[in-house]
Amino acid sequence: MMHKLTDDNMDKPPLFRHWSGWYWLLIGWLAVLILLFYWLTIYLS
Amino acid sequence: MRPLDWVVLCITLLGILAYGVYKSYGQRNMEAYFLDNRSMPWYIILLSIMGTQASAITFLSAPGQAYSDGMRFVQYYFGLPLAMVVLCITFVPIFHRLKVYTAYEFLEQRFDLKTRSLTAILFLIQRGLSTGISIYAPAIILSSLLGWNIYWTNIFMGGLLIIYTVAGGARAVAHTQKLQLAIIFVGMFLAGWIVVHLMPRGVSFKDALHVAGKLGKMNIIETKINITSKSFWQDKYNIWSGLIGGFFLALSYFGTDQSQVGRYLTAKSIRESRLGLLMNGFVKVPMQFAILLIGALIFSFYQFYHSPVFFNAAAVKEVENSSYKPQLTQLTARYDSIGKIKKTAVQQLVTAFHQQNQTDIDADSYRLRQLQDSSQSVRQRVKQMIHHVDPLADTDDTNYIFLHFVLDYLPEGLVGLLIAIIFLAAWGSTAAALNSLASASVIDVYKRAMVKSASDRHYFLASKWFTLFWGLFSIVIAQFANKLGSLIQAVNILGSLFYGSILGVFLVAFYFKKIRGTATFWSALLAECFVIFIYWLNIISFLWLNVIGCVLVIFFAWVLQQFLPVAKQPELA
Repeated sequence: MMHKLTDDNMDKPPLFRHWSGWYWLLIGWLAVLILLFYWLTIYLS
Repeated sequence: MRPLDWVVLCITLLGILAYGVYKSYGQRNMEAYFLDNRSMPWYIILLSIMGTQASAITFLSAPGQAYSDGMRFVQYYFGLPLAMVVLCITFVPIFHRLKVYTAYEFLEQRFDLKTRSLTAILFLIQRGLSTGISIYAPAIILSSLLGWNIYWTNIFMGGLLIIYTVAGGARAVAHTQKLQLAIIFVGMFLAGWIVVHLMPRGVSFKDALHVAGKLGKMNIIETKINITSKSFWQDKYNIWSGLIGGFFLALSYFGTDQSQVGRYLTAKSIRESRLGLLMNGFVKVPMQFAILLIGALIFSFYQFYHSPVFFNAAAVKEVENSSYKPQLTQLTARYDSIGKIKKTAVQQLVTAFHQQNQTDIDADSYRLRQLQDSSQSVRQRVKQMIHHVDPLADTDDTNYIFLHFVLDYLPEGLVGLLIAIIFLAAWGSTAAALNSLASASVIDVYKRAMVKSASDRHYFLASKWFTLFWGLFSIVIAQFANKLGSLIQAVNILGSLFYGSILGVFLVAFYFKKIRGTATFWSALLAECFVIFIYWLNIISFLWLNVIGCVLVIFFAWVLQQFLPVAKQPELA
């Protein structure tokens, strides 16, 4: 039990309450990059 | 190379070597040697993961790839951030809670010894051979462009890093990778800045991008989809193969290849591992974009200045010394005359950009594309000539383009730094590979099957000996690589053929609790036969093979398990 609690404390993510916040942020970042690259492709073609 | 270049090169390499040896002190046991007592913060994990993935060929090849084929190569990395998320959710917590040294150790706990042995041995064969090839690949480019002896270049490329990797294990590997990446980023930034700075007066960064775009090099995203067309499945780089195939490839590489798993197992907690992997997901795509952009800018640069008809000068020299010399002279003269016309056309195009005259932009772009096609056809004929003279010669000069530009146009000192970067990138990925080969050898083979109960001191020393063995083995492979011919490509393909099936084994382990070892083991072998058969048919790009291998293992394992008994198994995590 003690081990589990220590493990959970060590695993708290920074900035967000849950790790899912980071996962969505990363997926959003990828989406932004793809949109930006798509715009660049069209703009420079 | 001029004297200042040699000074910069020697100081950089010796500095890294000394830093690696300095970081080696204080290790007394196997856990410290392979995992640095699980003490690393997330930013070291990040840099170590990046340093392991980015080999010398990454920095040599990516700009050349953009020059030849455009920026679309960046799509190859789109699946990576998604794979980081899955790794953080599934792989990282399980590996950390089980306190494994290697990814394959987990498979015995979940399945059985034969599944663990199969994956570990496949890793040792594939990674052992590919590490030798990854030493040879940049060494042959440097020796070809600088006239260095290939055997000594191999020894310097693969030999010096053995000193700190054997002495310091995972800690020395991670800390030197940190410094190596810092130097690499500075050097690449300076190279990019100088390309823009060297453009003719009046040609801005934006103009250079427009020129590259009009000639089809800014094809960053390709969205066309036609699943009934063979060419769609054979196309290596589009958004679909990048997102789906790239996801499976990244998941296999970061989740099941010990050279990467060994990096984030050194983290002091699950949190630090997760942050390191997630940050890798944030920075990898922009980093690759920036490296490719240098190649697209070099392409624009060579529209204004003379470029060689073939960037591998050693291959051209062989043609010059053959009976094909008159034809080569003729083709080179033709290529140069097209280059002169192109120079005028591209300057007119830039003027049209400045005047924002769309009619002129369209007309000049069309003319420039035609000239580009003409020069490409001349290049193609020269490549055929090189092949006639030496059928084993590499007719792809993509890997030579960036270094050719560096040697011809970068100022004294910076050339030395860029050459040092090639060495450092090779050292970073090779050191991690040697460390992981040693950990899989000791943990999954030596300790598991040969000497089962010896002291920690014994295994610690064995780890050092195995690191030394794999280092020497890689150099020997590199020394013989020029005699391997097409086998080099076979070694590179070998990895991508097995990755999907190995990933399938891990995904069954994580997500299909009722499937046991025997079903998984035979499914992996069966799926691998299918993958090799599909590869032999040559109907699909290698990125899709990972998807197929992985899905087939899961499917076969599920079907086979219906006919096999389900033995009781303890909970793992």
